[in-house]
Amino acid sequence: MSTPYGWMGKISRVDLETGKIRTEETHQYVPEYIGGKGVATRIAWNELKRGVGPYDPENPLMFMAGPLTGTLAPASGRGSVCGISPRIYPTPWFTYGTMGGDWAAELKYAGFDGVVVRGNASKLVYLWINDGKVEILDGSELAGLDTFVTQRYLKEKHGRRTQVVCIGPAGENRVLWSTIQHRLSNSIGDAGFGAIMGAKNLKAIAIGGTGGVRIARPDDFIAACRKIHAMIKNGPTTHPYHAPWGPETQQCSHGCPLGCGKLHKNVPAGVTVGSGTRNMMTHCEDYAFICGERTTNYPTEDIRDIYKGDMFTRETKAFGERIGTELQALCEGLGLTSSFLINYYPWFWVCIENGVTEIEGFTLKPEEPQFWFDFMKKVAYREGGIGEVFSGDMLRAVDQLDLPPVVKKAALFQFPMWGQPAHRQGRAYESQPTPLWINTMLHWIIDSRDPMACHHQSSFVAGWFPLHHEGKCGTPDSNMEKLRATYRKAFGTSEGIEPGLNNIEGKTKLAVWQDNRAQIKDSLLLCDWLFPAILHTFPSQEEYLEADDYYGDIDAEAKMLAPLTGLDIDTPYIDRAGERIRNVDRALHIRNYNRSKEIDTTGEWYYEYPEKSDGSTLDREMFNALLESYYRNRGWNATTGHPTRAKLEELDLRDVADSIESRTKSKDD
Amino acid sequence: MPAKSISATVPNSGRIVHDPELCRGCRICEVACSAYHDGVCSAHLSRIHVIPDDLALEFPAHVCKQCPYPSCYYACPKRDKAMCIDEDTGARYINEEECIRCGSCFRACPFNPSLVWQREEDSKNIYYKCDLCRDRDQGPICVEVCPRGALTFQARGGK
Repeated sequence: MSTPYGWMGKISRVDLETGKIRTEETHQYVPEYIGGKGVATRIAWNELKRGVGPYDPENPLMFMAGPLTGTLAPASGRGSVCGISPRIYPTPWFTYGTMGGDWAAELKYAGFDGVVVRGNASKLVYLWINDGKVEILDGSELAGLDTFVTQRYLKEKHGRRTQVVCIGPAGENRVLWSTIQHRLSNSIGDAGFGAIMGAKNLKAIAIGGTGGVRIARPDDFIAACRKIHAMIKNGPTTHPYHAPWGPETQQCSHGCPLGCGKLHKNVPAGVTVGSGTRNMMTHCEDYAFICGERTTNYPTEDIRDIYKGDMFTRETKAFGERIGTELQALCEGLGLTSSFLINYYPWFWVCIENGVTEIEGFTLKPEEPQFWFDFMKKVAYREGGIGEVFSGDMLRAVDQLDLPPVVKKAALFQFPMWGQPAHRQGRAYESQPTPLWINTMLHWIIDSRDPMACHHQSSFVAGWFPLHHEGKCGTPDSNMEKLRATYRKAFGTSEGIEPGLNNIEGKTKLAVWQDNRAQIKDSLLLCDWLFPAILHTFPSQEEYLEADDYYGDIDAEAKMLAPLTGLDIDTPYIDRAGERIRNVDRALHIRNYNRSKEIDTTGEWYYEYPEKSDGSTLDREMFNALLESYYRNRGWNATTGHPTRAKLEELDLRDVADSIESRTKSKDD
Repeated sequence: MPAKSISATVPNSGRIVHDPELCRGCRICEVACSAYHDGVCSAHLSRIHVIPDDLALEFPAHVCKQCPYPSCYYACPKRDKAMCIDEDTGARYINEEECIRCGSCFRACPFNPSLVWQREEDSKNIYYKCDLCRDRDQGPICVEVCPRGALTFQARGGK
């Protein structure tokens, strides 16, 4: 189905090694793979061979937009970047990252749905993408510049509306914590793609365009967007009723109607970044050193004892607004992900408490701000022993160092799966009472990285606020009843969100649906805090308390995509596309990385530790029962974790089924 | 064509007012404007242009002031056919069917940048400007979609 609407119709293919640039049709991948991550995953399946490493020229770094990108669809400003990540532990593999801002919208205005970059340039370059034309330009003047100065330089050169994604010194030095940075505070961090741009000698991509996204049925599209905007305008479901605006910062994404006041902390003006003063857009991780808020406490001594007191999750020290924000600004300027600070902080304390007071001659003083300024610079520039060691991620660093076993275990606790920081699992940092952590666990197990886009939905949209805001929002029982009513409206049943570990079938079915919709979010692309809109928030506490349920609209995606593209797209089509993308991703990991049930099970140990707020744990038998139930609900083989031929053919993926079958056979032979 | 007197008075118009202190640079006004007028989401086609300085967090916007004595209107050689005054709203608007693409309005606008915009299409210059969504019952769409209240519609105060 080819359409002039929604998609721009072209993907640019750039080879930095040969300098060759060509374009290909987007419509060979869409609408089946929607856009963004979906299209990138199919390209990877088609082209990425086994054995290709993250720094190899064959690793395609794909910057992708989706059909809703650049339109007035509310909160549609995210862009997706995919490729082989050097950060994944123990085996670098194909994964994804996303961030907000305006770059993805500008990419479409410049005429492209994506740009796929292959090859490693022989000297530092940047891409200039402007109105259908892509050029590889000399980047020598950008060498060593921080991310803010790089953006300013390219905006002055190509025009103020130019949108820039770039790396800082950390990326140029292939530090695994390095980000791809955009504007202030938008970055792709934990995928480690900054190091891939560094390896490709690609300092930045500058984008400018005067085109636009054509709409098939403008009146219907505008009406749908306005209706959905009205539903979500009171903010993300981290808070049940209207959250105040974050006052002094730019909205994180193009076309976003929300201020996310509770997400973007207000910090005072006057922090010097590059050539001027800035207010940073400050998120949960960034806030760690400003006021020290990050962890939730363990409720009882019993649980604290299992975790050896606070050793794994010590709350970061509050350095105050000025110093905390300067730390964040330095981190972003160097092109490092700020999330790594909150993992290093408690880990350094574990080191000290176990007699390790210095590493490679660098004295550990995590209570002092200067220590962090020095540490970040050493890591970004790979300076001295400590900078070199920790320029790799923590687990790889720990592998190289002679440390007490408990210190090594503490590192693993910080990065329990895929070398990614613990997040929304109910153990290290945030509490996540049953059944919420069951769903996030399944997402972690199946995915290729921290499945943030997915568990932001399963943690918050799926009912975090009713369970956490008792007092302000009625009793836990009344909230639970409203939540049940909400899920009955969405799915005809509330079995997926019932407390406890009973009815695992209902829970795994819901987890499958959430994961499919996460693929859609990263493909359309939409805000991971707001979609799919199972729940919506309310203008006031009174209206919240009076409501019978919190139901939003899980058909919102289709309601926008159909009038935009003019195609016959409904919710079943959307769900099936999400399932298709996940299955192709799974097949890619089976073919290229031997992904299997055995690999999925590597994180099982983590869930034998109790959840922080209700103390729930998982034994091996129950873990296996959940995993097999999840596989079955996916149409995957319960023993191997491989998609069955029947499932792949149902999704029009016969070629994928053939390839997987031949791969499995040749392995058996 | 006999020249009309430039002292001819025209009805006052309402206008869109942008408050850069409230704006946070989401630019949904731009895509809503072009979606409504052109069926395309495009910052370039929009009649309102927000040009944020992402690194300084400044959010200036440019949209027609609907001047009481509109230079663009007086400059138009096909005044009241190409550059017109809407009877209901007072909006100064371009009737694209009659416009001869001479650029007089674009050049006459006293603001910098000119608040009559210019683009090239099929080797022809096209001129376009804010018309206050004169055909839209709910009024200017940019004002409606602005989530911050940074855009307001200031009603006209009589002739």
